[in-house]
Amino acid sequence: MSAFIQYTLQGLATGGFYALAALGLAVIFGVMGVVNFSHGAMYMLGAVGSAVLLDVADVPFWGALVIVPILLFLFGILVERLLVRWLLGLDPLYNFLLTFGLTLLIVDLVKRRYGVSGLPYQLPAGLEGRINLGGLSLSSYQLFAAFFSVVLCVAVWLLLTKTRIGMIVRASTEDAERTRALGINVGRWVTPVFGFGIALAGVAGVLAAPFRAITADMGSNFIIILFAVVVIGGLGSILGAVVAGFLVGLVEAYGQAYAPSFAQVLIFVLMAAVVLVRPAGLFGREEAS
Amino acid sequence: MRHTRMTTLAAMVAGSGLLLTACGSAGGGPSTASGKISDDKIVLAVLNDQSGVYKDLSGPNSVEAVKMAVEDWKAKHKDDAVSKNIEVVTADHQNKPDIANTKAQELYDRQKADIILDVPTSSAALAVATQAKTKKKVYINIGAGTTALTGAQCNKYTFHWAYDTYMLAHGTGATLTKNGGKNWNVVYPDYAFGQDMTKSFDGQVTAAGGTVGQKIPTPFPNDNFATYITKAATGNPNVIGTMHAGGDLINFVKQYNQAGISDQIKLAVGLMFITDIHSLGADQFKGVTFTDAWYWNFDEQNRKWADKFQEKTKTRPSFAHAANYSAAFNYLEAVQEAGSDTGDDVVAKLEGKKINDVFLRNGEVRKGDHRVIHDVYLAEVKPQSEVKEEWDYEKIVATIPAAEAFKPEAESGCSM
Amino acid sequence: MAEQTTTTTTTSSATTTAPLLTVEKLSAFHGEAQALRDVSLDVAPGEVVTLVGRNGAGKTTLLRSIMGLHRNVRGSVTFDGATLDGRSADKRARAGLGWVPDDRGIYATLTVAENLSLPPVVDKDAAWSLDRIYEHFPVLRERRDFPGTKLSGGEQQMLAMARPLRAGSRLLLLDEPSEGLAPVIVNKIGEIIRDIKSQGVAVLLVEQNVSFAGTVADRHNLLAQGEIVESLPNDEFRSRTKELLQHLGM
Repeated sequence: MSAFIQYTLQGLATGGFYALAALGLAVIFGVMGVVNFSHGAMYMLGAVGSAVLLDVADVPFWGALVIVPILLFLFGILVERLLVRWLLGLDPLYNFLLTFGLTLLIVDLVKRRYGVSGLPYQLPAGLEGRINLGGLSLSSYQLFAAFFSVVLCVAVWLLLTKTRIGMIVRASTEDAERTRALGINVGRWVTPVFGFGIALAGVAGVLAAPFRAITADMGSNFIIILFAVVVIGGLGSILGAVVAGFLVGLVEAYGQAYAPSFAQVLIFVLMAAVVLVRPAGLFGREEAS
Repeated sequence: MRHTRMTTLAAMVAGSGLLLTACGSAGGGPSTASGKISDDKIVLAVLNDQSGVYKDLSGPNSVEAVKMAVEDWKAKHKDDAVSKNIEVVTADHQNKPDIANTKAQELYDRQKADIILDVPTSSAALAVATQAKTKKKVYINIGAGTTALTGAQCNKYTFHWAYDTYMLAHGTGATLTKNGGKNWNVVYPDYAFGQDMTKSFDGQVTAAGGTVGQKIPTPFPNDNFATYITKAATGNPNVIGTMHAGGDLINFVKQYNQAGISDQIKLAVGLMFITDIHSLGADQFKGVTFTDAWYWNFDEQNRKWADKFQEKTKTRPSFAHAANYSAAFNYLEAVQEAGSDTGDDVVAKLEGKKINDVFLRNGEVRKGDHRVIHDVYLAEVKPQSEVKEEWDYEKIVATIPAAEAFKPEAESGCSM
Repeated sequence: MAEQTTTTTTTSSATTTAPLLTVEKLSAFHGEAQALRDVSLDVAPGEVVTLVGRNGAGKTTLLRSIMGLHRNVRGSVTFDGATLDGRSADKRARAGLGWVPDDRGIYATLTVAENLSLPPVVDKDAAWSLDRIYEHFPVLRERRDFPGTKLSGGEQQMLAMARPLRAGSRLLLLDEPSEGLAPVIVNKIGEIIRDIKSQGVAVLLVEQNVSFAGTVADRHNLLAQGEIVESLPNDEFRSRTKELLQHLGM
């Protein structure tokens, strides 16, 4: 029984991290209708950025947690202005392909500059230990990462539900054309939203740096899981991304414990099941007409 | 229907055979004669991963190592050299067997390669072995781990220079078990290499009087090992063995360190390269035990060579780099002795050769299966506090003599 | 005070002469197919004008074209003396057009109150305060914290119509407000339209429910196969209803 609770805790910890990583993907899809394939690459840049900042400028983890998302926000704005924007009116496939190509480019440039075997990174000071709770034990960092992810998800949720900016973003998420017809310049909100989504991927990358391999390819497996998360949650649904993030984290933990070689397959079985019953995902809206 | 298909297939096989013969007689006329160098040049081809996951541990720097071998060999023989015209060419096989197969053909036929070196990834390595056999050209594998190269799928032209799964399992599995690590749990990636390694480890640990309790398969590739590690820690094992490589290995070790069990349970890594330690930092790997085919800072001779290597590449060599150097150099020596670069002549000179060089200690090219045996090392990763310079990560715990380190020739299952 | 009265008088006297909305020779295309052919119409301030026609006649396309939501359009649209051609939908909305789509366009992720306050105020003087909205639509006050789509169809329609009023739109583009509603609710919608009109807000109303249209409008435009086939005042429309319906095939 205590083993089961331990697996559950691990699943929830992983889930919080997945939720945060998928959040940006959901926000960008929701507001812009862009399936941002480069999310995995941006996540990778977040982790690589932390490692490089540490190596070159001695910036510790806590500094990276602030600086890296800002840098990625700016990079996201650049990408949106220079590339994504021009394809927004067209079939969504174009931006999917664009961001796919961007991914190849970014990954290759990072490989060229930093090699393939990865960059070193240590646990942040003060979080090396473990926390024991009556027979159960979790690493302090894992606990911190999960807690931080949840806090950030709640903060994003408050931003979206309690502010006028959030209201506009939600309205644009639900129906950009209608929102435009109600007098809101949706386009003006699009660039910062894209930057914000990329910054969230960057935060996930910084959080990943201490417990995952920091390599140019680290995003390519991860993006597949993130797509599963947003499809299960409902493309574009922010609540959906969060709930599905936890769900996938739990499924993966139980899978690893009870059906080891199927842990990843189970995620996609879950995805298939959800899509069969609710094609738009758990919290997605069915397409009109 | 079946009949026609068989006929077509037969026709195709016959046709390609004809084509090959035609090519052979057209392009390789003089090469059949002994005592000559084909096309008036010796071409060494390095076929490996130039951009993917194995790029750093071998990749472009192995090409550098081969070039170093050519320079050193030329300096040694000067005017006596059987040919002064030596080329080094390279190709990227992206770790895919089909690409490796095509590239090998291209290298042997169009680029006039006399030898192919390296070829990591077992499936790709075996594909190239088939080409070597068909073309009757030399092939020295360094980067791949499969024992099939010198076992069931061995052939006259294929040599295996550095390591294999048997040697890794024997070195790490048997030694740790004899030193008291009786209870093992093994976590492995669920594909051919991981399964092979697990089988080898199971055999070696059991033979040494230990037991492997749980064998836990994981998807490949995989980022999240948290619960696998928790599970592997159940049942009070003394040792957890991981058969992961590259990015997965780094993920595993980072998460293992956070699982808070590293003080009670020893971590053994099936296959590890020094580049892995470098990319993660020594502290993350401290205390980890693994078998290394060669270590740059082992003695003065290794260190001197590593210094030369660093001048060219700005980095320290992995065992694969040193092995590529050694294989290229000894190939050229064999060509010199034979006075010919024809496959059969060179093979005859290599077989049974005893070698002591910077990579091979007490080395011997076994005649029966072409396994190159040599002393290998049980290594432990130092804590960062004991690391005196960059790349100074390993403490050699034991030297495993050449005769014990590899699968006995009698058990290889090779018949050429 | 005196000054303000003067201004108001001037505006209203000016608008009696000039139409608020003028559509001239508007053609719209769905790919190769032409959905609207040279449609011209105008709406005066405070006037309720309809577009009547059967399904597929091009009514909704016309509203969407006026709103700037349809891409493939020729012809011109003038609002309050300024051209809207080439301007984006959000700019048209801020010029004073209030769009009420046929699916009501209520946001599920926004509460009733948020749905009301989403559009930016386009005209401070014309904009209704929330209190005034709630006075006219008491049910919206009761449900202000509900998600928008938890309202009944009639309530959603009220919310959709109240939304541009709160922003201060001077012309509502109303797309089939009576569709799918019970007769008693339709009557209520009719009252609201008359109420809106009495506040000086103009309405361009798309309707299939002809008898309902006859109770609220000043003038009617009959649309068939993308063309206006007849334009006539309300009393004539009511006397000839049967004949006109037959003509339109409704």
